[in-house]
Amino acid sequence: MKTLRDAALLTHKDLVSLRRAPLVVILLALYPLLIAGLVGTVAGYANSRPRIAVVDLDHIPAKTTVAGHTYEIKSLINEVAKNVRISWMSKAQAAQALRTGEVVGVITIPHGFINDLKSVSNSPQVGFETSQGGISSRVTQQMQALIYNLNRKLQDAYLKDAIGYISIIRGGGTANFLGSDYKVLGIEKARALLAADKKNPQAAKVVRFLDTANGALRASELSARAVAQPIRLATATRSGRGWLLSAQMQAYALALTVSILALALGAAVTASERDENVACLLGRGLVSRFSLLAAKIALATIISLAVGTVILLAFGAIVEIGGIAGGQPWQRIPLVLLGVTLFGAALGAIGTLIGALAREGRSATLGALLVALPIVLLGLIPREIAPPAGYVSDIFPFSHGERFFSSALYDLHPWATVGPEALWMLGLLVLWGAVARLAQPRLTES
Amino acid sequence: MAETLLTAHAVSRRFGRVIALESIDLELRSGEAVALVGPNGAGKSTLMSILAGALKASEGQIAVTGSAKVGWLPQRPAHYGRLSAGENLVLFARLEQMDEPEREAARMLERFSLPSDRLSAYLSIGNRQRLSLAIALLGNPNVLLLDEPTASLDPKQRALLWGEAQHHIAAGGAVLFSSQNPEEVERHATRVVALDSGHLVFGGSPEEYTVWEREP
Repeated sequence: MKTLRDAALLTHKDLVSLRRAPLVVILLALYPLLIAGLVGTVAGYANSRPRIAVVDLDHIPAKTTVAGHTYEIKSLINEVAKNVRISWMSKAQAAQALRTGEVVGVITIPHGFINDLKSVSNSPQVGFETSQGGISSRVTQQMQALIYNLNRKLQDAYLKDAIGYISIIRGGGTANFLGSDYKVLGIEKARALLAADKKNPQAAKVVRFLDTANGALRASELSARAVAQPIRLATATRSGRGWLLSAQMQAYALALTVSILALALGAAVTASERDENVACLLGRGLVSRFSLLAAKIALATIISLAVGTVILLAFGAIVEIGGIAGGQPWQRIPLVLLGVTLFGAALGAIGTLIGALAREGRSATLGALLVALPIVLLGLIPREIAPPAGYVSDIFPFSHGERFFSSALYDLHPWATVGPEALWMLGLLVLWGAVARLAQPRLTES
Repeated sequence: MAETLLTAHAVSRRFGRVIALESIDLELRSGEAVALVGPNGAGKSTLMSILAGALKASEGQIAVTGSAKVGWLPQRPAHYGRLSAGENLVLFARLEQMDEPEREAARMLERFSLPSDRLSAYLSIGNRQRLSLAIALLGNPNVLLLDEPTASLDPKQRALLWGEAQHHIAAGGAVLFSSQNPEEVERHATRVVALDSGHLVFGGSPEEYTVWEREP
């Protein structure tokens, strides 16, 4: 009972002290928000188009005729490269650009590419080199999409050509094949001519054959049209939130702000006990070490809750006033705040550990900021890109908090995510609290 | 015979490889004022911290007799700068689980002539030292540990502080104070204990100490 009472007394003391330093509180709240905005903006551009070099060893002409169709291959490549920025370079320039990271991949169009393309019988190849690193898999996927789009364009033309040939064989007309024009009678006209010759018994057999052949070709024509686009994607653009007001951004802003705030506050108020030379008075049995630890974690949690509430209300107000699609899920706010409580407490425990280790206010705050950034950035790295970063991030609260907030705010059925993440944060609170408790004697040692 | 209030037996303290105190024995009895003397780094503050319970001894025991309580004035003022003197006293009185913390705080403010509502960070060094002493006296301790209490005080403030110490001794308490001031030791101490490099090198009356100190 005394333990809790003492913790409450010390928390109240810290709140009174903070109230008397409003500038510190404002800075502590605004600085992380500013960082959250900047990270959010950068993260918003994370899906922007990476730069790719294209090396043309075949000296592709301005226009190339393939299967009777004339293409502007370079324009076609530029046109289908929707998700990447194309820069045409020499081989040496591209190699240098890849080494320096100016481009994340190099497409090489080899000698003989156009000849293979024109032959229709050989599939031409393009080479693709990418640098090692986090986004190489994403770039490879985008390259596959680029080649797919290019193939689709050519495939459409080939199929259109093939369908044209079938139509001419069936209906007759003038066809161009390998650059020469040919007049074709066509099955239907040939059938009509033969059908008119009633005296020839062999003609009737040929007419039946022509009917069969015409039916088969018609079926082939229909199949070819279907194969050209077996599945169509209907794309529609709906009105929705921009990135800055997205669920992800709200979750990031909340997680990042609370991370920096709780870490810095936990560290600073813990170290201040030593700065003010009071830790030694408290440490002589007046207050238990658990009470002191609990008081600092409680303060970090209370301030995290207050700032988290302000952020959620601010987002909500902007969304409501702006009439943004989707609105703010007000009924989910209590659930989010439950997550903020666990999140702020777990981070407060880490902050308290930093404060005890640093033993001096300014060093503690600096240490907290130095620790906060890697924790946050580790949590921002997608697990599928760098799995080790994900494992390391798991022992810190950031990624768990971010997933909790995002799910609590916008998932239709959040419990599958929110439950495990809440348990993670609770476990991390116990873990980091225990480590911070072990470091507490440093506060009273000279 | 005066009652023994606090005993240190074979107390040692190491910080890593550095030996700060080596097997110190000390007794504090009611009605006495013991001066703890020695050069800088002798281990005076470390011993005070161990006796106060703020620091653990690496070896040896500290025994506080019966219901005796220990109050401690550290070398550097110890209180919260963003609380007023009154708020500091109320907080520490509550942590001491005193029955009427507000009343006790008001009594201390009056006794030490401290301003009630001014943030203690803005108090003069003398007032801050007096506030720390007032905090040390909360809970009516029998033993008062004063670590260089007058180092930064003017003569008037010193007189006030020693007046409080004498009052405490007269009420049956004991005072252990560290000092670098020979005149202060001679005037206020009933017994002197000298430390050097963590070792107890002298124990006796102020007169004996004066003789011992003059010896080559």
